[in-house]
Amino acid sequence: MASKLYEERAQKIKDTVAFKNESVTTCFMGGAAPAAHMGVKMKDFAMNPDVMIKTSLDYINEINAITSIDCLNMGINGMRPDLGLPMAWLSKLKMPGRELPDDSLWQVVETDILKPEDYDVIIDQGFEAVFNRLLPQLVDMNDFMEGITYQQENGMKNVELFINNDLPAVNSGFTSPPFEVLCGGRSMSQFFMDCYKIPDKIEKAIEVMLPGSIGSMLATINPVSGGGAWVGGWRGASALVSPKIWNRLVWPGMKASGLALIENNYIATFHLDQCWDRDIERFLEIPGKKAIINTDSMTDLRKARKILGENVAIMGDVPSPLLATGTTKEVKDYVSQLIDDIGPKGLFITPGCDAPANAKFENMVAMFEAANDWK
Amino acid sequence: MAKISELLANLEMDELMEAVQQELDNGTDPLEILKAGEAGMVKVGEMFSAGDYFVSDLMMSGEMFKEVGEMLEPHLAGKTGEVLGKVVLGTVEGDIHDIGKDLVYIMLKSGGFDVIDVGVDAKPEVFVNALKESGAPLLALSCLLTTAYDSISNTVKAVEAAGLRDQVKIIIGGGPTDESVVSYTGADAVGDDAQSAVRICKEML
Repeated sequence: MASKLYEERAQKIKDTVAFKNESVTTCFMGGAAPAAHMGVKMKDFAMNPDVMIKTSLDYINEINAITSIDCLNMGINGMRPDLGLPMAWLSKLKMPGRELPDDSLWQVVETDILKPEDYDVIIDQGFEAVFNRLLPQLVDMNDFMEGITYQQENGMKNVELFINNDLPAVNSGFTSPPFEVLCGGRSMSQFFMDCYKIPDKIEKAIEVMLPGSIGSMLATINPVSGGGAWVGGWRGASALVSPKIWNRLVWPGMKASGLALIENNYIATFHLDQCWDRDIERFLEIPGKKAIINTDSMTDLRKARKILGENVAIMGDVPSPLLATGTTKEVKDYVSQLIDDIGPKGLFITPGCDAPANAKFENMVAMFEAANDWK
Repeated sequence: MAKISELLANLEMDELMEAVQQELDNGTDPLEILKAGEAGMVKVGEMFSAGDYFVSDLMMSGEMFKEVGEMLEPHLAGKTGEVLGKVVLGTVEGDIHDIGKDLVYIMLKSGGFDVIDVGVDAKPEVFVNALKESGAPLLALSCLLTTAYDSISNTVKAVEAAGLRDQVKIIIGGGPTDESVVSYTGADAVGDDAQSAVRICKEML
């Protein structure tokens, strides 16, 4: 049974998306930030789901004891990064304690595991034909099955753990749209070349992949954990690709994913890395007060608010370098200035993209204090 | 020859390769063709700086420039164009990301620099050795992880310890770098993107 505080916070998430919130909503995001502060080696944090969940919860509660955190950006389910992220980017991960030093952060190894001829296989036989062939090259299948079993056995128990700690999440699912999957699989430089040389083929492959991609996204959402999903915008950022590529190959998949979420009464959280200024007005094509743009400090949020008005909520965007190297005053000034400029309505304050592994604890506290103290 | 630089600047791959072949068939000095390619890359850089081109365009132009270079190589017989200066480039220790570094490599190369690429996850001594062997006055350090800031600092310190700091300017770049990271690490400058890396390196010479 959820507490009154949990229910209030869960309602605040909905109110913020609908621009009915009275105050700024503080939102935790820090996939790797808890380990160092809690004295846990990164290899244990990253490779053991129970350690990841306990460490994260303890870290969040330590902040919460000082200043309130209203919600989590993404529900924390303990999924090992090397088992989850390869699905999004068709890339292997190097892990701490395995290929990397014990306290190193996990890192994506981008190679062209997907070959040019695979576009034809996708078009003729469907994405599963390629995915099923590549999966064993990307993950240890025994570990993968173990990860699935862990989620089946412990998933709901872990969700309840966060509910019992009064921590609702905005999102519980995510999708990496076909453009992003293909980009990761081909490697960025090769894929961008493909986009110039064989755009028709890529467009067809994306069309084939999209229904399955949307279906998987909807299936990953656990409304008890969080009633929304990320729609990933990484390599498809406006700053990275030409308008021709973006209009034809990036935006259709992102928009369709966002619309599918909204049609199913979920929140669409567009998780946007890099700068999206050029195309920010396109988010007006998404039904109003149903979606969030979750940015990493490179998109101009003043401009975004001006253009998007009260149609799309904003989740952002304290820069990683600031959290890692700045002073608490600098962090507070950044947050206060942001709220001064774009207002508290429809605003979640959170680290840009993700709090870095070496974020200073006092800076994380300062970020949320500044938001909670803003008047 | 203006046609070659135009075709490159307009990212017209097939037409560019045909034009290069035609110039070679006509007996044009391959160095002149290479210079035209470099001029095309300068235009690409200008369009990027003006916000008319994006990273994918830089990558495409880099690929085209590389293919032109490969086509000309057998005809150049060791002749090289004007070299502005040498740069040692790499991704610092603890970080294995190479996309940004590779893009800076191609932009520096096409901008007239001789680039010594020491790869990714490079220890401070690797950079120092490359600086000593090449005599390069410029060091470009890339990272994508905030946890790599200390590796940048350690590399800067290693350059100091080797007695090279007065002779070497250090530029940093990559997703999580900005002026605050310049201060934190003791570097000299930060490049916001591959094109600004070229501009800053030219200014630092």
